[in-house]
Amino acid sequence: MTRGGRWAGWAAIVGLFLWSASATELSLYRVVEGVPFMLDFLRRMVPPDFSVMGNALTGAMQTLQIAVVGTGVSALLALPLSFAAARNVAPPWLFYGSRSVLNVFRAVDTLVYALFFVAAVGLGPFPGVLAVVAYTATVLAKLYSEAIEAIDPGPVEAVAAAGATALQVLRWGVLPQLVPQFLSFTLYRFETNIRAAAILGFVGAGGIGFYIQTYLRMLNYPAASAVLLVLVALVMLVDFASSRIRARLV
Amino acid sequence: MIRVRGLRKEYPGGTLALERVDLDIAAGEFVALIGPSGAGKSSLLRCVNGLVEPTAGGVEVDGQPVTGATGETLRRIRARIGFVFQQFHLLKRLSVLENALIGRLTHVPHARSLVGWFPAADIAKARATLARVGLGGLGDRRADTLSGGQQQRVAIARALLQEPRVLLADEPMASLDPALASTVMELLESINREDGITVVTSLHVLELARAYGRRVIGLRDGRVVYDGPPEQLSAAAAARIFSGVGQ
Repeated sequence: MTRGGRWAGWAAIVGLFLWSASATELSLYRVVEGVPFMLDFLRRMVPPDFSVMGNALTGAMQTLQIAVVGTGVSALLALPLSFAAARNVAPPWLFYGSRSVLNVFRAVDTLVYALFFVAAVGLGPFPGVLAVVAYTATVLAKLYSEAIEAIDPGPVEAVAAAGATALQVLRWGVLPQLVPQFLSFTLYRFETNIRAAAILGFVGAGGIGFYIQTYLRMLNYPAASAVLLVLVALVMLVDFASSRIRARLV
Repeated sequence: MIRVRGLRKEYPGGTLALERVDLDIAAGEFVALIGPSGAGKSSLLRCVNGLVEPTAGGVEVDGQPVTGATGETLRRIRARIGFVFQQFHLLKRLSVLENALIGRLTHVPHARSLVGWFPAADIAKARATLARVGLGGLGDRRADTLSGGQQQRVAIARALLQEPRVLLADEPMASLDPALASTVMELLESINREDGITVVTSLHVLELARAYGRRVIGLRDGRVVYDGPPEQLSAAAAARIFSGVGQ
């Protein structure tokens, strides 16, 4: 790139930032102005009201369940999809077709799917599960397919050279290379889905988010903060357990 | 045991790897295949077990045509040909024992092989073979925790467990420390002597071929330019194989 071109590139980035900053009314003054209100909000949240612990735990449990079922179903759906979206396995028409479909689904976030499924099947955790699946299945399919494309052909050839059948080559040459990675990706998405499922309740799709939103609307800040603390504990616990397992997989 | 007739291999893009190769290798022979890289050694070995399909000509192993064989027929032929790769090609995350057991896939019931439930007799055989190649007690280690020399011996154990008639080795020493090369060579030699398995190994070092081969086949630009005992491999013949290489 020429010197002039590089300067033009930086100028364009700075220009884009300034244009967006002015459009979004970026203002340090308003942040400072808002500080007392933030402090007031935080002050109202302490001490947390742990009498709502029952609801908080019920919500947390449901969030966990949405993430478990949603991630599980996604992993099952992603398996065949990922082979269809792997350049070294699928014929070109299938590869390009499936990649395009995956990219379309991935462009929309879980929360948007939740709005759609709540309208379609009604309130509760079930539309939450469907929303998690719609997004996660396509993300996992993309991650799996990249693992399939990165497979080492050497061991596969070695198993075939030993006279193995196609199924034996799959079982002993291909799967040992893929399964640990697939499990690792799936656990990682499970961690992310706990966070995603936590806010699904805001749109009526079940889980702990329902209680957070309800207490905030009722201006019952101590109750809301108790529920938030339970959510933080849940996320930290799942992250810790999951990352420990993932570290052992690879 | 191995019959090669009029073998020609041209890869897409026009690279000519083999041209009019005729060879007969008898049962029990120990053959060193030498030549500079790109001479066609890998292509020749891969045509023998059907990993590469020749452009013309063909290969027979033990009276059965490999070239053109597919499906069940090809698998039966491959089951009797062990193949050792330069880069070992082990499954890194599997244990040493599981890697060795891959050599038993054609000997155990198919359904059991798919769930990994190998018969006790095959596991015992795999452990004994690992001990024979000097890896006794390492069966439960993950394959990628072993040194290069040890990994290559796992690969040799895997090939031996097929109970092959022929063992093909594609530069099995090239990825190893020179000091380890002779131990792998001695292992191949003992397999040939004690089990009567025909061994064909390609080598990139002329000295190893001189030291171990009882028959040396020299390849240059896809053609056989020397075929005879190592003692008769004169400086002139060696020059014919390697001349102009590395300049």
